[in-house]
Amino acid sequence: MKVLIIDDEEDTRSIASMSLSLLGGIDVIEADSGAEGIKKASSENPDVVLLDMMMPVMDGAQTLNQLLTNEQTKHIPVIFLTAKAMSTEIDRLKRLGAKGVVTKPFDPTMLASQVQAILES
Amino acid sequence: MKLQLKLSHKGIILVTVPLVFATVFLLILTLLLNQAEKEIQAQIRAKALVTEAGELQKSFYDAGVAMAGYSITKSPLFADRFDNILKQIPKILDSLNSLVGDNPKQQQILAELKSIANSALKILSEAKTALATDEIDIAQMKSRNVYQQARALTDKLKVTINDLTADEEQLVNKKNSPIDSKLQVKIFLAIGFLINIIIAVLLALFFSKGIGKRIEILTDNSIRLARGQELNALVSGNDEIAQLDKVFHAMAVNLQEAMEKERAIVENAADVICSINSEGKFSAISPACKELWGYSPDELLGRKFVDLVCNDDLPETIKSARQVRQSKVTTAFENRTLKKDGSLVTVLWSAYWSERERSMFCVAHDITQRKLAEEAIKASEERIRTIIENMMVGLLIITPSGIIEAVNPSSERIFGVTAKELVGKHILALFSESRFMDYSKDYDRNQFLETFFTKSLNRVGEFDAIKLIGNDEDFPVEISLTEFNVGGSLKFMANILDVSERKELEKMKKEFVATVSHELRTPLTSIRGSLTLLSVGALGVLPEGVKKVVSIAERNTIRLIGLINDILDIEKLEAGKLDMVMDDLALSNVIERSQESVKSFAEQHGVNLIMAQTDIKVHADGDRLVQVLVNLLSNACKFSPKGGNVRVDVIDIPNWVEVRVIDQGRGIPEKFKNLLFQKFQQVEASDSRKKGGTGLGLVICKGIIEQHGGIIGVDSVEGQGSTFYFRIPKIKEPTEINKVILKQA
Repeated sequence: MKVLIIDDEEDTRSIASMSLSLLGGIDVIEADSGAEGIKKASSENPDVVLLDMMMPVMDGAQTLNQLLTNEQTKHIPVIFLTAKAMSTEIDRLKRLGAKGVVTKPFDPTMLASQVQAILES
Repeated sequence: MKLQLKLSHKGIILVTVPLVFATVFLLILTLLLNQAEKEIQAQIRAKALVTEAGELQKSFYDAGVAMAGYSITKSPLFADRFDNILKQIPKILDSLNSLVGDNPKQQQILAELKSIANSALKILSEAKTALATDEIDIAQMKSRNVYQQARALTDKLKVTINDLTADEEQLVNKKNSPIDSKLQVKIFLAIGFLINIIIAVLLALFFSKGIGKRIEILTDNSIRLARGQELNALVSGNDEIAQLDKVFHAMAVNLQEAMEKERAIVENAADVICSINSEGKFSAISPACKELWGYSPDELLGRKFVDLVCNDDLPETIKSARQVRQSKVTTAFENRTLKKDGSLVTVLWSAYWSERERSMFCVAHDITQRKLAEEAIKASEERIRTIIENMMVGLLIITPSGIIEAVNPSSERIFGVTAKELVGKHILALFSESRFMDYSKDYDRNQFLETFFTKSLNRVGEFDAIKLIGNDEDFPVEISLTEFNVGGSLKFMANILDVSERKELEKMKKEFVATVSHELRTPLTSIRGSLTLLSVGALGVLPEGVKKVVSIAERNTIRLIGLINDILDIEKLEAGKLDMVMDDLALSNVIERSQESVKSFAEQHGVNLIMAQTDIKVHADGDRLVQVLVNLLSNACKFSPKGGNVRVDVIDIPNWVEVRVIDQGRGIPEKFKNLLFQKFQQVEASDSRKKGGTGLGLVICKGIIEQHGGIIGVDSVEGQGSTFYFRIPKIKEPTEINKVILKQA
């Protein structure tokens, strides 16, 4: 499995990446902005995208919209990785087309299994 | 039978009897006088008759003398004299005729007299003629003859005249003489006068006995009536005096009754009735003064009225008393008076000044309670008015049809127009809906009112109001409607709160919370992730010392994350914005999830979890309920001794379900029980360091349970463990009947 992590925070990106690769044995590609994420999603064709919500220039919602409207990426499931933990917010993100939501701060030991569980749901 | 005569009849008798008597007396007197007059006339006539008869006799004698003279002397003097006498005789006869009148006997004598006289006249005439023409001898002879005859005739005439006068005298003698008649009248006058006086005196005596005496009694009765004394017995009779006396007696009875009634009223009146004389002293006072002022009537009589008046009210009272004296009608005034015990009593005086009695008649009514009540109402009204006028909330009184009837100053401020402009408007005009709805149309109006009432009656509804001045900008308001009744008509009071600022603050706060949440969590995510990766050995095996400090750092990072989450939850709770997704769910599911969540934590603390089984369903936010139960279980684990048990019991009570978390820990001192559910409270200050936790968990639990309409609490005995419990409403299992209805539905 190959996961694309799109997050402007390098540290978060690194922790998520390490949690998935070191503890879950998952291949990880990283992107530091929405635009780069879309590019990488098209070129690398990951199995799932972990997308941050609050990003400068193009936020998570806009990135999701572009991913879902892009012929090459629209099939890729998107999981939000966000600090906005309110249930109403989760519902809204799901309505936007997200497959699921993982709230920050996440438990590194549980991240891989959480992603797996969302993809299987 | 006694004659019952009216006073008027008696009066008539008193006047009429002497009058009738006097009239009769006068009539008789007149007759007597007439009679006397006639007698005088008769006497005069008799005298004339006798005189005339004598004259006649004398005439014949003179005629004889004249004729004799003539026959001797042939002197024309005798002839003339003779002729004159002859002419005189018929006149005398006429005179006699008129004097005789209608007396038949005298008429008869007179007729005889006339015939004799006529014969004598004839003879005398013949004698004279013979004397003038014949020879003296012849004439003498004839005249002698004539003389003889004439003498015979005159003798006869004399006899006849004597008869006549004798008859006349006889007639006159038959009647009383005038002297007798005068005496008679005098006697009659004296007798009549005497009788009249006697009658008058008798009548006067009769009346003085029958009327005067009784009038005296009547007068006495009237005096007694005026003095209020008992009257004399009823006077006898049936006339006006007796009737008047009866009236007096009736009046006395009525007066007595009226006085008794008046006395009863005065003595039993709750108000004090009194009179105050021109010196300002009590001259009479009713017993109610004891109740009102504590003084008996005897204590007040003769005392100055102003002695009772409170000093502060004295000038005003004196002024009022003057006004009463000047006014001709009853005048009211109020003052505070002093009771015997020194306390104050407020009195309403109704006073009237009688110039005749030179006294002020007063009714004093205790209005202390009324005054106090009035003052309380006034103060209360003042308070309420102050509150209403100064409150930030706008108040509108509206009719059920939506017309604004009254507003407070805040409403003017909120809508930017004066009260005058608001009153009379339809409520729709105040809201943004008026841009597309027309309140002059029934349909629009009713449509809006339905929404308006539904959203805000007995709850808080949010609306977009518009400023009625300037740019008509929208602003958010919260409205709560309450219905009430004014004089039987239904009204609504709308509380309007301009929430523009609050909305703005809420928006800012929301943004702040989101920012903090993101800005704090992002670095924490990295720290925690890093530490976890280290501690689980993902980056290689760590030396024991390093492992220990990494573990400490990881635990404290998790605690910090928990603290941030708790603070955010508290923030939401306090703003009433804790998101709740209510659903019907099985309580067993909540218990299982909680158990799963704290399993490893319990194992860490060496505590056994014993969970109850239940099939009870609740209407709740599952995640939040799990949050509560996890919190209670974590606490129980933390404070339980190693190898201890933590048990979850479910108690089914009518309408409610109670979940209990029972531990075998150290228990909670009594004084902390109430503090546990307050912010940042822990039993021991060191607990937060030793046991972890923020001191916010139970506060959040309380907020969540209360939002479910439930309660949370603790039972504990120090040293014997604690039982934390929460109670929430359970879903009622449909009854058999309801099940059928539901099925049909």
